[in-house]
Amino acid sequence: MCNACGFPTRPGHWTDAGADNAGDRLRLQLRRAQVLNKLLKGYGFTARPPGHAPGFALSSFSGRTTILPDLEAVWQEAARQLGHPIDPLDPRFTAQADPAT
Amino acid sequence: MTPAPDDGRLRLTILGGYLGSGKTTWLRHQLFEGAFGKAHILVNEAAETPVDDTLLSSQAAGLTMLSGGCACCTGKDDLVAALRNLCDLRSRQRPEERDAGQIVLETSGLADPAAILDTIRQDSVLVHHIRVAEIIVLVDAMNAAEQLRTEYLGRAQIEAADRIILTKVDAVPDTVLATVVATVRHLNPGASVEAAVKGQPFSLPDLPVVPPYDLPRLADGGAPIQPTKIDIPDDVEWATFSVWLSALLYARGDDLVRVKGVFETPAGPLLLQAVRKSVQPPELLPPEAAHRQNQIVFIGRGYKGDDLRRSLAYFTHG
Repeated sequence: MCNACGFPTRPGHWTDAGADNAGDRLRLQLRRAQVLNKLLKGYGFTARPPGHAPGFALSSFSGRTTILPDLEAVWQEAARQLGHPIDPLDPRFTAQADPAT
Repeated sequence: MTPAPDDGRLRLTILGGYLGSGKTTWLRHQLFEGAFGKAHILVNEAAETPVDDTLLSSQAAGLTMLSGGCACCTGKDDLVAALRNLCDLRSRQRPEERDAGQIVLETSGLADPAAILDTIRQDSVLVHHIRVAEIIVLVDAMNAAEQLRTEYLGRAQIEAADRIILTKVDAVPDTVLATVVATVRHLNPGASVEAAVKGQPFSLPDLPVVPPYDLPRLADGGAPIQPTKIDIPDDVEWATFSVWLSALLYARGDDLVRVKGVFETPAGPLLLQAVRKSVQPPELLPPEAAHRQNQIVFIGRGYKGDDLRRSLAYFTHG
């Protein structure tokens, strides 16, 4: 664990795999934040890289911001605030696109 | 299963299967044949009357009995303590004395291997020291029909397996065996299916093609599970897919019994494996494995396969 920022407290979350150098990791983190926002925006949340550490800063529409170490923690915090988990199979996400594409 | 690189962690094989499926017999023969090398054996008995230790101790490097209840629920603390102890012993050895460490855990017949996997993933010490190499589940071909019809646990064990071994296959006619094989493949299309008689490997004869048992819906098991294979289109990046899958597992983890597949990432092809909500740390495969890339199997219940494809397409293009 890094004693300046407290990350990571355990070996990387599984989503940290797939990037083995610093450049790839940063690219992945930025790209993930974009995708994450697509999922979150309908629920009043936004996410961005916190700048100094892995993970994401999750802000709710009230302005409350929480720094979270990985994607799992993001879903957990969002579910806690909403009272139910964000489900990618919710009709709002499955109604439009054509499965063939 | 794909051989994994040696990362210095102890390899743990979980051996599960319903009561009386022949776990000890099978393990005893494997140890005799040297299949697990000098492995340390952990044996868990749900009842507090250990008998297996006498059968196994002669061939193992070491043996620990966990007889204080089933390791996936009441005996969880004992299991964690025993595993930590083994990690501790290994850390004290000088590097040159360390052999390729291996542990085989024979679970009680009442244990859900997925719950044990979860326990290890969530323990902050064990997660650094132990890598679950394989979940092997034994299925008693003679009694499988009855067990699977009535016991949710029997189904859960099969669903969690990487490798399924049918036992007592010499005692059933081919037609029954064919149905058992079809049922097991239906429950877990991702696992390999083998057979054994009294612990010795037995090659499955050519079996007639038959439908699986019609398994009734159980109160605690929900709808029957179904496999969905998704060919991931080329334009889906790892960044998108990992966000989507992590959300899906968080929301639907209890319904998604198994997710397995290979995904191409900037670092190389990654082997992804999840049992319910717990995802094993993905392994980087050698580049040759890339011909199987970007195909993920989802095994679960409570959703439509096409919805998975639609949802993923939404986040890729929408």
